[in-house]
Amino acid sequence: METVIQIQQLSKSFKGVETVSNVNMNVKKGEIYGFLGPNGAGKTTIMKMILNLVKPTSGEIKIFNNLITTSSYQYLNKIGSIIEYPEFYERLTAKENLELHCEYVGVYEKGAIQEALAIVGLDGVEHKKIHEFSLGMKQRLGIARAIVTKPEILILDEPINGLDPIGIKDIRELLMLLKEEHGITILISSHIVSEVESIADTIGILHHGKLLKEVKMEDIRKENMEYLEIKIDDLKKAIRVLENKLGIRKYEIVNQHCIRIFEHDISQSQINKELILNDIVINGIEKQQQHLEEYFLNLINGGNQIA
Amino acid sequence: MLKLLRLEWKKNCIAGYFKGLISCIVGILAAVVLMALGSGDEQVFRDYTDFMSLTNILIRIVFIIFSSVILSRLVIDEYKNKTVQLLFTYPLKRKKIILAKLSLVFGFCFFSIIIATFMINIAVYFLNPMMNLFDTPVEIQEMVATIPSTFVNAFMMAGVSLIPLYFGMRRKSTASTITSAVLIGFVINATVSNGDSSASLFQFVGVPISMCLLGLIIGYLSYYKVDKVDLT
Repeated sequence: METVIQIQQLSKSFKGVETVSNVNMNVKKGEIYGFLGPNGAGKTTIMKMILNLVKPTSGEIKIFNNLITTSSYQYLNKIGSIIEYPEFYERLTAKENLELHCEYVGVYEKGAIQEALAIVGLDGVEHKKIHEFSLGMKQRLGIARAIVTKPEILILDEPINGLDPIGIKDIRELLMLLKEEHGITILISSHIVSEVESIADTIGILHHGKLLKEVKMEDIRKENMEYLEIKIDDLKKAIRVLENKLGIRKYEIVNQHCIRIFEHDISQSQINKELILNDIVINGIEKQQQHLEEYFLNLINGGNQIA
Repeated sequence: MLKLLRLEWKKNCIAGYFKGLISCIVGILAAVVLMALGSGDEQVFRDYTDFMSLTNILIRIVFIIFSSVILSRLVIDEYKNKTVQLLFTYPLKRKKIILAKLSLVFGFCFFSIIIATFMINIAVYFLNPMMNLFDTPVEIQEMVATIPSTFVNAFMMAGVSLIPLYFGMRRKSTASTITSAVLIGFVINATVSNGDSSASLFQFVGVPISMCLLGLIIGYLSYYKVDKVDLT
């Protein structure tokens, strides 16, 4: 699949402090790439560098295989974006803002503005001035503005901030629709992990300016998401059995009486049998699903105890 | 470029400022006419040149301040409200965007000074015989003769009107943009007089020329740097 955003060894320092450090990432055509990371991880800075609002200290960014230089601008007609809080010309109405946007981008399709407003549920308020809009409405209008020119890439920095649960659901469905029906590539950042989990194809986990992991959601699900949680009375003994008798290496100790096994090759009954044969009391055993949130927190905290 | 100028015009409702322009012209005219009439027998202005020297001072001060309002609206506000971030994600050369904005400020200052001078001249031509603003009657040739200097002065003031960009951009502040414009306007136009002769900084030709150059350099630098600066 074609890579539309290619980032290599990208670094950025502000006044000597490195906020983005040697990031490599690849966003494929038609996928939703979820950017996860705590506040200040460098998500916005990377997005700004893609849009050429911030210039990299080193490294390179290629969009559709074209290298971005400090004065590049033509590629921007393929990108729709919301960076941080969506800003508008407050004295103008919603419709005037979108009209102005279309003229600047050089796209004017009849009915596109109305269509975009309808998609985000803002039809009927197009003649309202922006200073009368609530944060949620501005966020929706920001999304309408990003999609009105039908870009090939959407860069959305925390687009669901300030939205109500219905708004969040609407946006989730909209993004899926844009991806599936229009083949739009979407780079989205959020600190709400469950939201990214439900729509992303690939996720990039960023912490302290470093990309800790770039992984397909599919692989996360396959690799780590399913585990066997066993409650036992003697932890040390159980570990000995698991390691020596069954050869299990991928496990996590939750507490003195609980252990999680991430290996799928060995069946539940086999583990069960072996523990019982070695006189370990099993108080409970069940298959569980790890959510992206735990995976994310494990990575961020460096507390990944999977041996 | 024309498209960019048009969009800036539309976005900032520049047309609305023409009302302000007209009020300023009327205000300046009213002020000098009242001064001329209020002095009674001992007239303040002896002739047309006398009359216009004060009028020109007022025009220059008023329009450098007015231009700084436009400058803060067009440039400073965009940075302050972060809409510049949006503006720079358009597939347009950033240098061109900045050039359009600065040209609009420069053009506004230049043309408003020309228009104001022209309109006040016409008004004086017709009003003087009726109201006796000054003793020596004014000849049309006398007025025509001031045209070149009006253009040169307007150009210089238009250059000067970009100096507040430097002060405004430091803190992205509208207040400092306008305050600096007021100060610059007064400093270079303030007149010292002993009754017979008067002097102002604007009369020393080097001062307005170097201020104008300074303004143009400040404008050029922000144009030149726009591709290199991070928008955080």
